[in-house]
Amino acid sequence: MEIRYQLEKPVTLDIQMQVRDFTVLLGLSGEGKTMLLKAIAGLIPARGHPFGGLAAERRPIGYLPQGYALFPHLRAWENVAFPLPRGAGRRTQAMDLLARVGLADLAERYPAALSGGQRQRVALARALARRPELLLLDEPTSALDMATRDEILDELIREVHDFGVPVLAVSHDPHLAMLADHMAVLLDGHIVQEGPPRAVFARPATMGAARLLGFRNFLAGRIEETAETGMVVAGSGWRLRTGFQYGMHPGMSVTVAIRSEDLVPGDVLGVPAPNALKLKVVSLREEGVALRVRMEGACSLDMLLPRLQCEGRTLAPGATLWVQVAPEHVHVMIEVQ
Amino acid sequence: MSHGAAVGIGAGRQPSARWIATATAATVLTFLLAPFAALVFATDWHDFHFAPGDLAAIRVSLFYSALALALVVLAGTPLAWWLAHYHYRGKWVVDALLLLPLLTPPLAMGILLSSFYGPYSPVGGLLSQAGLYLTNTAPAFVLAQIYGAMPYYVLAARAAFEGVPEELEQISRTLGRNRWQTFWRVTLPLARLGLTAGVALAWVRAMGEFGIVLIVAYFPQGIPVKFWVNLEDMGLSAVYPLLWVFFLVAVPLPLWLGLRSRRQGMF
Repeated sequence: MEIRYQLEKPVTLDIQMQVRDFTVLLGLSGEGKTMLLKAIAGLIPARGHPFGGLAAERRPIGYLPQGYALFPHLRAWENVAFPLPRGAGRRTQAMDLLARVGLADLAERYPAALSGGQRQRVALARALARRPELLLLDEPTSALDMATRDEILDELIREVHDFGVPVLAVSHDPHLAMLADHMAVLLDGHIVQEGPPRAVFARPATMGAARLLGFRNFLAGRIEETAETGMVVAGSGWRLRTGFQYGMHPGMSVTVAIRSEDLVPGDVLGVPAPNALKLKVVSLREEGVALRVRMEGACSLDMLLPRLQCEGRTLAPGATLWVQVAPEHVHVMIEVQ
Repeated sequence: MSHGAAVGIGAGRQPSARWIATATAATVLTFLLAPFAALVFATDWHDFHFAPGDLAAIRVSLFYSALALALVVLAGTPLAWWLAHYHYRGKWVVDALLLLPLLTPPLAMGILLSSFYGPYSPVGGLLSQAGLYLTNTAPAFVLAQIYGAMPYYVLAARAAFEGVPEELEQISRTLGRNRWQTFWRVTLPLARLGLTAGVALAWVRAMGEFGIVLIVAYFPQGIPVKFWVNLEDMGLSAVYPLLWVFFLVAVPLPLWLGLRSRRQGMF
């Protein structure tokens, strides 16, 4: 399904993107992601298709806002039955839907007595009761506990696949985007990139997209050599080999992006060491079981060391460290900082 | 002593502070309620009887207050909903104007009404040509009660509607319900506590309205005007039986609605 929507107020957005199965639109808070969903749902004035020009109640969509907006005065099954026409089978249909999301036992409860994950599933069942052609999810991970989040997300994705309804989820959470079938990146009111998550995460199109996707290291440099086998990018005091990319030629100003978790201590990738850089450790910070190492020298880099690689090393601020990055993990963008 | 509660709630607070707070609350409460003791002591229980016309006044008050209340709810609810839902430049002017009838002293309001709807005004002249006389008639009585009660109802109902999360009304629309269905199935149930308070308040205001009624509709006499007449004609003792009736008919509805909504406050 192709979506094309334009709105001016309260934010300016011009969105054109594909929705396939479970699609995540990734964007910063305040970019207007919620407004896009409301525009598609017909709740704020906008131009676009599909459903453009229809009143909200006539659009075949299911909308799950943040916090799910269950009706507090209705029991779980009554919430699910809300969109169903009055009739004998209303309760049965609602109970069937609740059973499909695994909540038949809690049908008589009011929303206040349900957990975040349970509320989400009731809201999902309620949205699906209308047989929508498109499901809109606003930050589906925001109201979930870290402990149960992945489990609930897996279940949510499995359920929407089961129901066979295309989903557009908006989020600022790259973790959710990784689980998607298709993703798009929203920046300054436009889609700057879309595709399968694997491709987008590996090759962000712009620095803004790279930041959103979790890249932390950006180096300004210049292309030195290009060949079919690879390229060399260099800055003041550093040189890095990268894979070949089309449209690059020697002399071009570029920005290099490297993920913190793609940097490794010098002895890990083996000899002959590609892309070895000698840097000085500036600070160390534990991040759960990993260690974040901030280094300076010819360039400033941020490395996230998994605990397996911390073993047997003594790292301290002031120490000199060789670090490496595999050429295929050095991402070059034609954009200057 | 509820030691645990004292530690849990007011940790570090002196016990004497609690005593002072309790004593102050008790004093103020006594001050507020003390005059009602007079109702029991001052009533002449051995010679408890109604003055002539009291029963008619009760009938007038009950019937026309109910009518006024119905009209207030019918007309006030859409206005309150509109005030709660539409936002535009200069809305504060409308808000301020809405307070005008509330801030006007009842007697002054009565004078304004008689000037506007009275037989010598253009509006009153037109209405009387249509057979509707708005001075000292039943319609005038209801009109006075409406002006006394509607502003209170509209303010309460507006606050009640504003308390309903807009998101829930929007979700209802995305679930295939139009504005009208959304109003009945989402807005009204969720606003019902506040609306109930508004109805209770409007009922008491309508029943007890004296100042406006005195000027615009001295006849037909309702309970408040009859108080005044009994007091003037027969003295204080003639007021108490009617006062008892007033409390018995005017207060139970708001009291019942209030208690009911408090109990059902949680879903």
